[in-house]
Amino acid sequence: MSFSRKCVPFTPFEGKLAKSTVALVTAGGVHLKGQEPFNIADELGDLGYRILPEDVDSSDLMVTHHHYDHSDADEDINVVFPIDVLRDLQKDGFIGGVARKHVGYMGYTMQLKAMYEGTAREIANEIDKGSKADVVVLTGG
Amino acid sequence: MKGIPTILITVSPEVSAQMRPPRAIYPNGFKIGNSLGKPGMRDLQKAVLGDALTLLTENTRPGQIITREYPEYGEFHEPPRVRK
Repeated sequence: MSFSRKCVPFTPFEGKLAKSTVALVTAGGVHLKGQEPFNIADELGDLGYRILPEDVDSSDLMVTHHHYDHSDADEDINVVFPIDVLRDLQKDGFIGGVARKHVGYMGYTMQLKAMYEGTAREIANEIDKGSKADVVVLTGG
Repeated sequence: MKGIPTILITVSPEVSAQMRPPRAIYPNGFKIGNSLGKPGMRDLQKAVLGDALTLLTENTRPGQIITREYPEYGEFHEPPRVRK
């Protein structure tokens, strides 16, 4: 499906937050320390993404990204990937649950078409098919 | 695919607006790298994430970026501007 450049894709939220499962998708270059880092040597940008599991320990996460100052994220990943904050909101009953998987990718790219038509669709499929998420929170850096 | 509701937390509102996000919140003055606030400021991070999620339940206009104030952040950084 192609959209007019003026169209805003919008899916209504018809549930209740307290019963909803939330997934995080960040363009801030977040990945597990054991996963292959994003390729920052490629001037065109890295079109890959990493799956971050439901029970990820925030201390096992890191940032590989060369287009923003991520020193604060290196200290506290929650400033760009608020996984512990999300868990706090679940404990408070504000949200119903934390999704089975989340996604990190490196938002910098010179290959916009490939990102838009490839990576973005793949991430959407990952979230749609395996995360049990009702809503997604998107962050950059 | 049936579609899934999303909310974007952006610290580059003019840049993000070009992509017409369905829903977006801009914590006013937060710098790039601090989408949720500063390290260790858990109450602020909860406030930002909570407000972002709450926008899902409000009657926002698709494509509109909502600015929210968080004086406890303690700084103001000009976001990147888009040349018109």
